[in-house]
Amino acid sequence: MPLLINQQLIENDPWQLLTDDEQALPSDGAVILPLARFEQARADGSILQLAPLVSGDDDINALLEQADALALVAIEIPAFTDGRGFSFARILRRAGFKGQIRAIGDVTRDRLAFLTRCGFDAFQIADDRYSDDILSALAEISVNYQGSADEPRPIYNR
Amino acid sequence: MYQYTEVDQKLVDERVEQYRDQTRRFLAGELPDEEFRALRLMNGLYIQRQAPMLRVAIPYGLMSSRQLRQLAHIARTYDKGYGHFTTRTNIQYNWPTLESVPDILAELAKVQMHAIQTSGNCIRNTTTDPYAGVNANEIEDPRPYCEIIRQWSTLHPEFAYLPRKFKIAVTGGPEDRAASQVHDIGLHIVKNDAGEVGFEVLVGGGLGRTPVIGKVVNPFLAKEDLLSYLDAILRVYNLNGRRDNKYKARIKILVNALGVDKFRELVDTEWAYTRDELRLPAGEIERAKGHFTPFDYQADAVNNDLQDKLATDADFRTWYEANTVAHKVPGYSVAVVSLKPYLQPAGDITDIQMDAVAELADQFSGGEIRSTHDQNLVLADVKEGDLYALWQALAAQNLARPNVGKLTDMIVCPGFDYCSLANARTLNIADQINEKFEQVDYLHDIGDISLNMSGCINACGHHHVGNIGILGVDKKGEDWYQLTLGGSSGADASLGKVLGKAVAADDVANTLDKLLTKYIEVREGEESFLETVRRTGLDPFKEAVYAPAH
Repeated sequence: MPLLINQQLIENDPWQLLTDDEQALPSDGAVILPLARFEQARADGSILQLAPLVSGDDDINALLEQADALALVAIEIPAFTDGRGFSFARILRRAGFKGQIRAIGDVTRDRLAFLTRCGFDAFQIADDRYSDDILSALAEISVNYQGSADEPRPIYNR
Repeated sequence: MYQYTEVDQKLVDERVEQYRDQTRRFLAGELPDEEFRALRLMNGLYIQRQAPMLRVAIPYGLMSSRQLRQLAHIARTYDKGYGHFTTRTNIQYNWPTLESVPDILAELAKVQMHAIQTSGNCIRNTTTDPYAGVNANEIEDPRPYCEIIRQWSTLHPEFAYLPRKFKIAVTGGPEDRAASQVHDIGLHIVKNDAGEVGFEVLVGGGLGRTPVIGKVVNPFLAKEDLLSYLDAILRVYNLNGRRDNKYKARIKILVNALGVDKFRELVDTEWAYTRDELRLPAGEIERAKGHFTPFDYQADAVNNDLQDKLATDADFRTWYEANTVAHKVPGYSVAVVSLKPYLQPAGDITDIQMDAVAELADQFSGGEIRSTHDQNLVLADVKEGDLYALWQALAAQNLARPNVGKLTDMIVCPGFDYCSLANARTLNIADQINEKFEQVDYLHDIGDISLNMSGCINACGHHHVGNIGILGVDKKGEDWYQLTLGGSSGADASLGKVLGKAVAADDVANTLDKLLTKYIEVREGEESFLETVRRTGLDPFKEAVYAPAH
């Protein structure tokens, strides 16, 4: 499954995504876990490098206090029509989170520009929806009235 | 009116090319139906019963004569020669082809227009008072704020995939001609005790299956905080609105579930984060206001022969009394162009009529036209001395029926004939009502009344807030019509109450006749229909309609 980070196709991603709670944790490495399991693993003092997978019904605010300690937050987009992820990323960036925000799930071309503006910098895209020119989606509209992750000021305050 | 900057123009131009490519990819099979659906809706394109339907935005209902001519050109070139004005002051074309839509959008962009976010689960066109800037009771012209909201909401990256659609209406004073209390957000320009002008903010109004009057979430919002506060409301809604059931996804359901006090708390918490970042500088508000400067009124306009004309031409007088409204400047008048001619669909207008109205706007009203919530057009700055010539020219185009605010000035959705959501026909019922009441001798005696009709529970015809509401329902394959009484979309907004069991299609006009006869019988003094219903309740009207004949 192609992974784009900072608009680059990444071949060797260290992160392993474990969404099945029955699946055992690896002995070492970097793991993305659903939020509840992530919190449990942290509480258990896991030596793994851990990142949370946040989905729509989770409370993003719960992550903000520990955000400095995280290298990555993954946000699940269960369906492209579910816009909660946009606000999650926006809230994380607003809180000063500097790590990677990775979109996982129903991530396709025509949402990439808005996702990027809200603060996502990594996209995991299904094989059959990936094409080499997919990043041209980011260049379609050059005018932004609103603030965005790289320029928080709206157009009238720039 | 607002003129695009280079930046605004670039956005709509780029948007056209973006949509052109999306259409190309869809037709090439590269874009799944479901994804293209969301993209085309956000560019105004529905797939309807007969053909695609394209809804073009008329931001806060204001257009120039040049823009209206372009809308006529589009009707002529890409459609069957007409368009349909909607209750949210937009225009719809019912017969474009899917393949031609990118070209239509390009034609719109040439005159600073677009179809962005006229559908879809996003922030829709902001609407306002069609008499903005020209009515004496206004505290401030709401249109600069509408334009500020338009820019903020256009291609907002965070709020393009909301739980459901989101509509904002703004009023400039105590009167409400924008149905603001049945919008997701209603903004009312108000003055506080200190004499400062700001906004009363209502949230969670709406029609559809669950009609609700909006609740006050903030009694006074400073102008500079307008966008940060809207932003906070939208974020709370985006994160907390229901997504499991599209019929429970509007913000009204969230506000009702939480209670407005809890909802306000969530908004205030969120607001604290963005209040500084999104603060509107005074200069930006002034920039927007600079686009809505008063018309160049002439003091000698008071010297005219209007009274002579009114005294000598009874037909003109009838039109003048029904279809013009007082202007704040002496010697001027606001003229309403009725899009409710006899036996024509409400809100429909041909390309020839559009060209004619554009011409009259140039000749008599500063080249500007407004579209109204009631599906009419307005020429807002006509000299009293020009009204007679204007009336004659409108009459020649079948645009001068003297029925504004009267029974036949109905709001009617397109119904089953066009719409794939509808359960029942509406256009035939509107015709039936027109036929019944065109000649009755007491029609002039009924006075101001609103009759709103929807062909299904989605309530695009706003039946809940009509003084009389008519809802088409399907019963075992037959069209039946349920009536409600006592609704209002004005400053005293209220939801109509169901009269009783639905009536058959061929009995709607007769039922109205019984209701109106009863009204004339029981009204006191100059009481309007609405006032009478509010005083008496529904009982006398139920009896008039359902009691067995003696």
